[in-house]
Amino acid sequence: MRAYTPKDDVQKKPYYTDRYWVAPQVAKSDVSEDAVFAADLEAIKAKFDVLDAYIQVGQMVVVINAVDNFSVIEMMKNVLAYNQLSEMSAIDWLASEGKFEIFYQMLSMSKRKRVRIKCKIGEKESIQSVEKLFRSADWSEREMYDMFGVVVNNHPFMKRILMPDDWEGFPLRKTYPLQGDEFAQWYEVDKIFGKEAREIIGPENRDPARIDRYDTERFARLGHEVPHGTDISQGEPDTPLCYQENDGVFMIEKFDAEKSVVISDRHR
Amino acid sequence: MAQHQVNYLKDGGLPVALTTIDKVVNWGRSNSIWALTYGLACCGIEMMASGASRYDFDRFGTIFRASPRQAELMVVAGTLTKKHAEFIRRLYDQMTEPKWVISMGSCANTGGMFNTYATVQGVDRVIPVDLYLPGCAPRPETLQYAVLLLQQKIRKESASRAQKPKRLM
Amino acid sequence: MQQANRLRPFFENITFDRDDNELILNFGPQHPSAHGQLRLMLHLQQEQITKAHPDIGYLHRGMEKMAENMIYNEFMPTTDRMDYIASSSNNYGFALAVEKLIGLDVPRRAKVIRMMLLETNRLMSHLFWLATTALDIGAMTVFLFAFREREYLMDLIEDYCGARLTHAAIRIGGVPLDLPDNFIADLRKFLDKLPENIKDYEDLLDTNRIWLMRMENVGVISTEMALSWGCSGVMLRASGVEWDIRKEEPYELYDEVDFNVPVSDKGDNYARYKLYMAEMRESAKILYQVIDMYEGTEPALMAHAPQYISAPKIDIMTQNYSLMQHFVLVTQGMRPPVGEVYIATESPKGELGFYINSQGGAYPYRLKLRAPSFWHTGILTDLLPGHYIPDVVSIIGTTNIVFGEVDR
Ligand code: SF4
Repeated sequence: MRAYTPKDDVQKKPYYTDRYWVAPQVAKSDVSEDAVFAADLEAIKAKFDVLDAYIQVGQMVVVINAVDNFSVIEMMKNVLAYNQLSEMSAIDWLASEGKFEIFYQMLSMSKRKRVRIKCKIGEKESIQSVEKLFRSADWSEREMYDMFGVVVNNHPFMKRILMPDDWEGFPLRKTYPLQGDEFAQWYEVDKIFGKEAREIIGPENRDPARIDRYDTERFARLGHEVPHGTDISQGEPDTPLCYQENDGVFMIEKFDAEKSVVISDRHR
Repeated sequence: MAQHQVNYLKDGGLPVALTTIDKVVNWGRSNSIWALTYGLACCGIEMMASGASRYDFDRFGTIFRASPRQAELMVVAGTLTKKHAEFIRRLYDQMTEPKWVISMGSCANTGGMFNTYATVQGVDRVIPVDLYLPGCAPRPETLQYAVLLLQQKIRKESASRAQKPKRLM
Repeated sequence: MQQANRLRPFFENITFDRDDNELILNFGPQHPSAHGQLRLMLHLQQEQITKAHPDIGYLHRGMEKMAENMIYNEFMPTTDRMDYIASSSNNYGFALAVEKLIGLDVPRRAKVIRMMLLETNRLMSHLFWLATTALDIGAMTVFLFAFREREYLMDLIEDYCGARLTHAAIRIGGVPLDLPDNFIADLRKFLDKLPENIKDYEDLLDTNRIWLMRMENVGVISTEMALSWGCSGVMLRASGVEWDIRKEEPYELYDEVDFNVPVSDKGDNYARYKLYMAEMRESAKILYQVIDMYEGTEPALMAHAPQYISAPKIDIMTQNYSLMQHFVLVTQGMRPPVGEVYIATESPKGELGFYINSQGGAYPYRLKLRAPSFWHTGILTDLLPGHYIPDVVSIIGTTNIVFGEVDR
């Protein structure tokens, strides 16, 4: 019987799993430990639902409802002085809970603090754009759409950004294989030469360890192993570095290795 | 009576050299390989370095040109992605015959370390390649050696045969 | 003679409207001064740009996807290929993020060596920036000069790790090698000559009429625009925000060295050029101090954390348990704790951040690369309109974008 591979997550898995191993956690501390974060959290809590909040590796993480994302970030920007949206993207949790997690990484230069706002949306749901608040979200949201297929509402130019416009599939989803689906693997051939050329050009070689047993250049000597130190030249002379033809070239001065100077002192 | 008559048998011989057209044409071609700048990724930086002050590519007659119409060598330096594949073919078609292609770096040869959905697994799936340079990134010396090898290759070809388009497959 | 293929001229998004004077210019993706593979669709009114659409993704190689399919140590060489002008700074950003995730402290000598690598990389990057920007604007001499100095630094790095461009010189938990014998002496020699070299460049450029015309008051980025677009590094500091992660959130030994953060409030190309030059001097200053720190550090290079980091080579070769642990770490990979981390470092281009979400497995569940150049390319959308065609080249030049980083 063929081994079962889950279809909802086709990423590489370790070949070995330790059943008794319990993964440790990165320490989470309470928000009250940091006065600045505590005040910020109070301000957010006063107006919006906060599902969870904690400090991890020196940064506050606030989990909110997806519907609030625009207003929370507006408040963060205008009231709480978080003046840069340094990063935003999504995480694919479709396999386990059927949701995307979206995170906004914000930076306050006056407080020297970083906060991560997170929310979750379902696969078919969409989220409000924050492009009106931070122009940087313009491209991040496009990238998120390109990579995950998360649709963003009220975005001025919702188009693919990294992949070509006619691309199929969303590469960073866990269901998308690293080496691409059939569409991806034939993309350039189909586009340039047409589908007819597939047979002539042939499939891609995706196996980085492929060895051709009958390799003409004897790169791989599989099946022809010899003891270490054996002469494998089979009587062929060495091919030395050859800058010019041996018998000289028409109208070109012959390169003379004797006369050339090697500059060993580079400070000259 | 011409006073200035030169005695060709004595004074250095005839001012004529006998050769074949092939040789003359190939001599010209091989010593003025103008390359199209095709720096796609990291290898492009090494390509620039080989054109810059220390490695000085000009002494081999190789000058980087920005227009495909002025170039006969395409140094594909870097990763070719699926999105870009179409453009490299376009630019290759725009170059004038005879033309040669050096594929520089493992990305251009085989896709290299980027065995992913977005990378073309070797430029030879799209355009015909004459020389493959291994390395990630190949040093400038390697590129220079490749150009010298290409010069030898050009000298071996017959001048008119070079006009025939190369087949991809 | 062409081979038959299906490529036809194509005009994406373009409607040819004959009633107005609008011209649409396609710039790139293969253009010598696009610093890689940038494609710009420019709408022109005579010579003036009315609308600009940067199109990126021509170097998208799927690094984030690769990271999800690789153990942590395996991903290190891939980070080299992000900002390939200064690859050690990417290595470092990734190593630091993983170290923060597993809570690791690095031995002092490794820190000193990392600082040296980071700052030499900054110098390399700035020299390269100067060379290419000057070349784009037509100052060939500066290009040749700056490359000469850069080659010197490349040699130094090559002495250290064996590679010129793609160093992979930093490991999670330390550095793999100690400095070679002549490294410090050579570095000092270079640094002693650097002020002279920088002065050469400045003599050539500072009062050059062409340079000034193409730099001054061109590409002005206001403070709000820079903040809103998520700019960082020199792009931000040239617009009047004093923010350098090395100073504000010090990592490694940056809190022990003394350096200034040059700021300008002009926001134009010339301000950025001036800042790059000033930063080179500051880097040299940091390097002098770091060289002095090297003496008298303990020889340990890798942190001691048997759960995550292999033992030193000598132990692996002589002791059975170290060999077993090394074998497990190499074949299965280290498994950091469950959690997530976002760590930003100041790369030569700006804020380089790594967001790692680990689910306790050997492969990261999600890794997001926050590359500064991505937004510095995005800002062209708002920056180019109103400028003229020749300004495009100088603006792209001073934004200092690298496409390995933009597209990842
Ligand atoms: S071969 Fe290596 S150095 Fe060259 S483009 Fe590919 S990854 Fe970069």
